[in-house]
Amino acid sequence: MNWKTVLILMQVDRKSGRLIRGRKLTRFHENRFLAYWPYWTALGVGLAAGLLAGVVYNTAAASDVSAIGDFKDAALSIFLSLPTLVLIYSVVFTLFQQIQRSGVRASSQVPYWLPVTWQEHTLASILASLMGLPLASVVFIATAIITFSPFGGLVVPAVATSLAVFAAAFMASATTEVFRILQVRFIGAVYKSTGRAAVWVRFAGSMVFFIVFYILYFYVFYGSGIVTFIQNVASVQTVAWFVPFVWPGLALFYSFISGELLIGLAFMAVSILFIAGLFLLATSLNRRFGLYEPPAITVSHGAYAPKTGLLGRLGFSSPEAALIRKDLKAFTRRRELMTIFIFPIIIIIVPFFQTFGSTSAQAPFQFSIFFAAYTFILPAAAMAMALGNFMIGEEGQAVWRIFASPISARSLVKSKFFFIVLFSLIILVITGAVGSVIYHLTLRAAIIAFFEGFFLIFAIGTISLSNGIGGADFTETPRPRMIRQRTVYLNLGECALAGLAVLAPFFPYVASSVLSAFIPNLFDGWVLDPVLALVVSAVIAIVLTVIFYRTSVKNARELLKKAEK
Amino acid sequence: MVNGAIAVELKGVVKSYNEILAVNQLDLTINTGEIFGLLGPNGSGKSTTLKMLMGLVTPDAGSISVLGIDVQKDPVAVKQQVGYVPESPRLYEFLTGIEYLDFIGDIYAMKAEEKKNRINEYLKALQLEGREGDMINGYSDGMKQKVALISAFLHRPKLLILDEPLSALDPRSARIIKDFLNQLKTQGVTTIMSTHVLEIAQAVCDRIGIMYQGKLLALGNMKELRQMSMLPDSGLEDIFLKLTGTGDTRAIVEELLK
Repeated sequence: MNWKTVLILMQVDRKSGRLIRGRKLTRFHENRFLAYWPYWTALGVGLAAGLLAGVVYNTAAASDVSAIGDFKDAALSIFLSLPTLVLIYSVVFTLFQQIQRSGVRASSQVPYWLPVTWQEHTLASILASLMGLPLASVVFIATAIITFSPFGGLVVPAVATSLAVFAAAFMASATTEVFRILQVRFIGAVYKSTGRAAVWVRFAGSMVFFIVFYILYFYVFYGSGIVTFIQNVASVQTVAWFVPFVWPGLALFYSFISGELLIGLAFMAVSILFIAGLFLLATSLNRRFGLYEPPAITVSHGAYAPKTGLLGRLGFSSPEAALIRKDLKAFTRRRELMTIFIFPIIIIIVPFFQTFGSTSAQAPFQFSIFFAAYTFILPAAAMAMALGNFMIGEEGQAVWRIFASPISARSLVKSKFFFIVLFSLIILVITGAVGSVIYHLTLRAAIIAFFEGFFLIFAIGTISLSNGIGGADFTETPRPRMIRQRTVYLNLGECALAGLAVLAPFFPYVASSVLSAFIPNLFDGWVLDPVLALVVSAVIAIVLTVIFYRTSVKNARELLKKAEK
Repeated sequence: MVNGAIAVELKGVVKSYNEILAVNQLDLTINTGEIFGLLGPNGSGKSTTLKMLMGLVTPDAGSISVLGIDVQKDPVAVKQQVGYVPESPRLYEFLTGIEYLDFIGDIYAMKAEEKKNRINEYLKALQLEGREGDMINGYSDGMKQKVALISAFLHRPKLLILDEPLSALDPRSARIIKDFLNQLKTQGVTTIMSTHVLEIAQAVCDRIGIMYQGKLLALGNMKELRQMSMLPDSGLEDIFLKLTGTGDTRAIVEELLK
């Protein structure tokens, strides 16, 4: 193993992160000190945190000598949960790093024509994956506990914990490396063997991944809470002793808490063996599949038969129908566009965890009305807003095809707007059904909420589309931008105002219903019958839709004229 | 429209990008059924000129008429009759080859049967048969170029605007495209191509225009260009290097060898 080669490869890997951050490299000169700022910062903050904890410990110990033992036990139990905690989030962050890199096509290409061994390549890849948050956190933890240790007389456990934490992070990164290689090899094979289904496998897989991730995220941060989570980790790892990933934590537990040093040393030895095994596995997988080219995804076989199409029968011209069909395929095949379907799911999940935590407590009646409206209206409106923003920018650099094709501004807006309405309506129906069932809405209330959502889709969809055309950004590297940042904020403000305007006729009704228990006769004389409020709301929505649809066409004309930009 | 009639006419066209003058007072007439080559060093204004012909870039001054239509007034009508391949054609990588071509056929409102027949013919001719069901992101650069070329030919346009059309193509496919352009010429189809491969321009083009710093430096067939450059027995490469004043390559090579 040539360590210099490993270091050079790590540098290259670290610099590929510039693509993710979108750095412009004209006349670029890297300041080495600044390049490693996260680690210097982690070192400084760790020192400060360790000293602060030490001072607090000394002060507390001076005032209550009998509590010293309890403080030491608490510190030790935190120490022993650290390796497993570091392992968990290092796996998450190294996995995310891999996803980010594959998204910007920045995965480091194996330089097979250079004199680099597979061991060197694999080790560099594992260590480079740790760069960033995982390594900075390891530096922070190690510095903090070693600085604190002399105050509490815990120098040996602190040094051992620091080593175990680094071992856990390495273990996590090696595991990610193994998964990365397997993913490249076997997902490709799955695509090849499943044919057309490959697209749906990828779509469903992405959905499941994000839903599971967000459910876990909200469970940890809004459900049981992070402190309970740490306590659970500490108690679970002794039960799950047969899982190799908790062995560094167990080595600490048996060495410093239960006092069984021999068992502690045994866990330390098997931890080292396990890490070596993971490294050997990653190396041999890299040797075998490192240069593997995933096969092209075959979507269709057999004779080609053009479809006449339902869209044509619905009154869309041939170019309009072609654009809609193309966009339907884009939103089920492009990863960055698939994630848009996550919004409505998140919007439904968040209030459950945020409001009620992990308990099964029933919501008060007033909250039920609010959340029913929330699940009915917000996901569809958010979908219309997001789609409106992205529908033009998602064309990316292939937008030359639109510019070079005989498509008028009117046709472009018509086809894009139809797509926005279609998808937002589907979301409205699904989330509305969920909201109706969970919050036991009456049929009348559900119908009113449905129409209100429908009007919002039209108003917000046209506003967002007009902004999406005006602020389209076709940049694809380092990642597809789709829309300029400033336009997003502007659009958000406009959509919020439009949403409030469309919903305004209902405000007195909702306010008096929700607050009637506290302030009787509120808004007396101002409360419209919900059906009348719906009609007023429809008028407002139609006016907004007509105005902004025209603006969209005007913006599309400008866009097609200014193709060079 | 018959051969000999004017297919493309540029009069006093000027285009600048901020302080850079990309095209400077360009006057050019291209006849129907002609294969016209537009040559020039990098940054000479070729691609900008081709984009202006398509209505993709608006000129700052001057007028452009394509197939008798004012590009600025009715760009959609021009695009309906033109087939275009840009310098680096970015395709929809999430579509399969066949889906992309199907999409193009629909954009030009082709009839289903006609579209199917033509797509199959082109796929067979350019050896893409068997790969048409793969997603484009799995294609090589050459295969992507073939798809871009088919999408330009598919709707039988009256004018082809091709920016480096043969780049990344294998010799067989390049030969097919060259022969195909010659056949289209006999049917009255006009082709304007930009290329850096001077052998191709010399072999295929009826007339050649050499652009340099936004201006048309020379225009004519090979015989006329030889006379202009006073290099009676030379090939296009020598003529090009002399006219553009970039011919002193020997000194550079000697410097490199030191």
